[in-house]
Amino acid sequence: MIDSLLAYITLAMILFSIGFLGVVSRKNIFVIYMSIELMLNAINLIFVSLGRYYESMQPQVIAMIIIAIAAAEAAVFLSLIVVLYRRKKSLNSDIFTILSQKDSHE
Amino acid sequence: MSNFLLAWIVLIPFISSFIIGVMYLYSIKVARVPNFVFSLFGLSAPLLSFLLGFSFFLQMIGNDEIFLYKAYRWLEIDGYDIDMGFMADKLSIFMVLFITFVGWLIHIYASGYMKDDKGYGKFFFYFNFFLASMLLLVLGHGPIIMFMGWEGVGFSSYLLISYYYEDGENVKAGNKAFIANRVGDFGFIVAMVTMFYYAGSNGFDFLNLKESLLSVPVPVLTFIGFSLFVGAIGKSAQIPLFVWLPDAMAGPTPVSALIHAATMVTAGVYMVARFHFLYDLIPHVGLFIAYVGAISALFAAIIATKQTDIKKILAYSTMSQLGYMFIAVGLGGYSVGIFHVFTHAFFKALLFMGAGAVIVALHHEQNIFKMGGMKKKTPLVYFTMLIATLAISGIPPFAGFFSKDEILLTAFSSGEYLLWIIGVFTAILTAYYMFRLLFVVFYGKNYKEDKKLHFLPKSMTTPLVILAIGSILAGFIGIPELLGGENLIGSWLGNWKNSSLHVTHSTEIILMVINIFAALLGIFIAYKKFYMYDMKEVPIFTGIVWNKFYIDEIYDTLIVHKIKQLSIFISYKIDVHFIDKIVMGLSRGFIRSGHYIAKMQNANTRFYAFTMLIGISVISTYLIMVLR
Amino acid sequence: MDFGILSVIIFLPMFVAFSLLLLPVSSKITRNIAFMTAIVILLLAGMVYYNFELTGYMQFREHHSWISSYGINYSLGIDGLSLIILMLIATLIPCAYLWLWDGRTKGYWVSMLLIQTGITGTLFSQDLILFYFFWEAMLLPVFMIIGMFGTGNRVFSTIKITVYTIMGSLFMLICILYLGVAFFYEFGSWSFALNDLIQITTLSRAEQIWLFAGFMLAFAIKIPLFPFHTWLLETYSNSPTGGVFLLSSIMAKLGVYGIVRFVMPLFPELYKEFAPYFVWIGIFGLLYFGIAALMQINIKKMFAYSSASHLGFIVTGIFSLNAYGMTGAAYLIIAHAMATGGLFLLIGKLEYDLGIKSILALGGIAKKAPLFTVFFAIMLLCIVGLPGTNGFVSEFLIILGTFGFSQSAGIVSALTVLVAASFMFWLFQRAILQDNGNDVSQMKDLNLREVLGMLPLIFLIIGMGVYPDWFFYKIEPTIQHYLIDILEIRT
Repeated sequence: MIDSLLAYITLAMILFSIGFLGVVSRKNIFVIYMSIELMLNAINLIFVSLGRYYESMQPQVIAMIIIAIAAAEAAVFLSLIVVLYRRKKSLNSDIFTILSQKDSHE
Repeated sequence: MSNFLLAWIVLIPFISSFIIGVMYLYSIKVARVPNFVFSLFGLSAPLLSFLLGFSFFLQMIGNDEIFLYKAYRWLEIDGYDIDMGFMADKLSIFMVLFITFVGWLIHIYASGYMKDDKGYGKFFFYFNFFLASMLLLVLGHGPIIMFMGWEGVGFSSYLLISYYYEDGENVKAGNKAFIANRVGDFGFIVAMVTMFYYAGSNGFDFLNLKESLLSVPVPVLTFIGFSLFVGAIGKSAQIPLFVWLPDAMAGPTPVSALIHAATMVTAGVYMVARFHFLYDLIPHVGLFIAYVGAISALFAAIIATKQTDIKKILAYSTMSQLGYMFIAVGLGGYSVGIFHVFTHAFFKALLFMGAGAVIVALHHEQNIFKMGGMKKKTPLVYFTMLIATLAISGIPPFAGFFSKDEILLTAFSSGEYLLWIIGVFTAILTAYYMFRLLFVVFYGKNYKEDKKLHFLPKSMTTPLVILAIGSILAGFIGIPELLGGENLIGSWLGNWKNSSLHVTHSTEIILMVINIFAALLGIFIAYKKFYMYDMKEVPIFTGIVWNKFYIDEIYDTLIVHKIKQLSIFISYKIDVHFIDKIVMGLSRGFIRSGHYIAKMQNANTRFYAFTMLIGISVISTYLIMVLR
Repeated sequence: MDFGILSVIIFLPMFVAFSLLLLPVSSKITRNIAFMTAIVILLLAGMVYYNFELTGYMQFREHHSWISSYGINYSLGIDGLSLIILMLIATLIPCAYLWLWDGRTKGYWVSMLLIQTGITGTLFSQDLILFYFFWEAMLLPVFMIIGMFGTGNRVFSTIKITVYTIMGSLFMLICILYLGVAFFYEFGSWSFALNDLIQITTLSRAEQIWLFAGFMLAFAIKIPLFPFHTWLLETYSNSPTGGVFLLSSIMAKLGVYGIVRFVMPLFPELYKEFAPYFVWIGIFGLLYFGIAALMQINIKKMFAYSSASHLGFIVTGIFSLNAYGMTGAAYLIIAHAMATGGLFLLIGKLEYDLGIKSILALGGIAKKAPLFTVFFAIMLLCIVGLPGTNGFVSEFLIILGTFGFSQSAGIVSALTVLVAASFMFWLFQRAILQDNGNDVSQMKDLNLREVLGMLPLIFLIIGMGVYPDWFFYKIEPTIQHYLIDILEIRT
């Protein structure tokens, strides 16, 4: 039992790391978004496996809520991406620098 | 009579000066006040003070009463009182008498001299203020009150020297006087404070100090005596603080007569005499004082022989005569010193007023080599000036002879032969430069066409006559016993330290003859060189003596200039480039580090995510380590 | 006085200021009302003075809880020292208003009123947090008045003074909080009242030294002591007349007041231990600033240095640990405030009429404006310490006190008679008396209103110089209380 839990958590960590690497290394906003989702689901996986391990329903509930929220968030995020794309005609995250200290100050 | 009148001796000139001051402001702001109103107040104040002083004088004859009047408690700290009090003993009432009397004459003279001046009222405001401060100095019952007068005198001297303030040079001369005096005041304050801690516990006035100083250790006394003397040096223009006195001639001539001849400069001598109980305990400081006096006397006399400005000659002669007084008081002959103060007041005031008359008559010409032939033009001035010159040179029976003779006798009988030699030599020089002045001004051949002389009003000439009489008679109050006289001044003031007169009569006669001979020698040299001096052209002097030994320049480069450099160094270098740089550097450091940190906010999402990763890893590692 | 007279004195100007801000009134009416307020406060202060009893303890106490869960209270009270400073403020401000009469906007008057609230609040606070509150609140209107009505590089000056002083005060705040926490640990309840905090016994020596240093830093910057003085020059030369008047004559003195009120009772042992250092820092400042003043061209900078020089002397006095020095320092606070305040008002007029701050461009004023010159001279004499002015009494007493503390320090401090005289008289010569051929025809002599504004100061300067005893008896018990009860020196 313990071994299988460890395996689930390791899997979740691997998924999380992949997602994180995606966020850090990729420029395309869509890919970044997908990586974030991946990280989110890695967390979900941990919740669910821990719920199974402790035979408790609460983590399962939280996982369900996360999925629901992620769906809502996806709607907002995608619409934002559309707006951003209309502004700059690009999905490269590096060119959205309006909030940068560099632009406003120097 | 009640003692409170003592306060009024001081208060009358104060009040009158205040009234004159307010009236003067009224006069320039609102409506003109006629000059005679100013004269009325200005002239009556010294006269009233004189009469009050005289009444005290009469009460003092034949007894040793000391009048003391405590007006009010000046301040009380820590259960310790300092009173605003006035004291009249024989010394101070004697000073009051001739200060007010000579002061009054000079006031009269000034009312003529300043007649056409726009600031007539202002002048009498200053003059009465000066007189009041001087009287406060003399009548103060303790060092603090004396110091108030002392500073007041210095300040009014500043006002009077820079009277013609539009010219910066005059104000500069005033500043110089004030600062030099303040150097002296520094000494006075230090002495006062030291005295307060070591001897002030029984009350801080002269009568109590006299007792309590006896128990103070000698090194402290030496320190006090020395610091006090620094004050005296500043006020009485002795080496090394004399530089202000010649410059002080920038003021109107009556000022020079009143302040720099008769009264203020003698305050130093008075102070040493007032603190005689202190200096009696420390004769070595006294000897130092005598030597400073002697050297100043000689030094000033040497400089005076080469000057051409009539007032500067008189200024240096004043310094020289003050040196004589310090020889006397330094050696313990306080009454002798005060005697010379007294006679000097008459003939020096007369000299200055005569010089002022000549200057006015010649439309403000001060170079003696541009005068000449004044004997015919102003016979009265000539006559009175001659008397004064004879008096200062020490020709019997004029006033200066007796006092100077006694000073030299004091020096000789104290066994300080060097001082005596310097004194005699200075006497030769004195006679020389004074007669040089007299011959050049009154006998010199002047080829210039006669300009019309300025009219000399009665108010200017009458005081000359009175002072001339004074210069003849003043010496008679101190005729030595040798000549069958009675030393009135000695017995009046009391010979606090009876060191003089243990020489034989024959020695005394020899000394007297030497003095007369010295004076005659000086006159003879002057006669040879300057009688009927031909003034085709104004002689041009060069050399170290004419340049007053470059003392002013030395002070300027060594002290004034250095302080100015230091000031610039502090305010423009240290403050701006060091201290402020550190302060501003700190704030710039914050701003700069802010910029660096702000650079991390580069709007690169992936960079943010990466930093987050680092942050999360560090925090979780820390938590794992700690919470395990 | 059961209606809380001190609170009225504090908050009346603020109340008036805010009402004026809200009401649509012209600057003239604002000025008249501000002046009336100042007069009312003078009368109230007069009542306080009259009813003040001759003891060294706090009187007119007021106490209300403010943030009770942390023991922070609204607690007021005055003793002899605060009383004389209160009288000083109450007298000086109406006089200054008479001088600022024309050509100031509404914002100017409102700021002046608010500064008054800050100053009096600082003066009366008996609770350290309340004190800190007023101490900082005092700065905001100053910030505005310099920033809005100043000259030259005024924004920079404002920021410099504000950041500089707030930096110092923040250290003080940390120290106050530290003391509060220490009190909580020792006694189990929160309090920031001065009387409670002085009972703390648990602090180690190192802690005490740090706290002492924190408090001293805040006050040293405000005074300013060497080497925290560089804000002073720019601020003084760029401030408008009213601002520099309040800064120099009152707010700088509150730094000294803070030392006596808080540092001395909180750390009496350290106060005594470090006294020699501060005596010498004071004397050093006296000479350093005095010499620096000598060659200044900007007349306001010269007075800034001159002020700093005298404040150094005041600090010497309060650290001299005897009655003479401390009374002298208290007296010099008054004397210097009057003289320097008067001088800044006069200089302000000079600047207003001629638009000149450089000494080199002046000269020949005496002929044009004799009354101005007379008043200028009297203020100058007070700074120089001529007998007959209160400057002399205080300088003499401080020299006396310093000599009692250490003979060498006493002798060096006596140099003050030389230092001030040199630069003041030189300034007087160049800027006022001598005719430099500059055009000063725009200079107007004082009018009746200005004379009326200056006369109280003149009377006080001379009155306090001629008859000091009459002014001493209200402070004397307080100084004795400091020495005997707080510092435990002598009987």
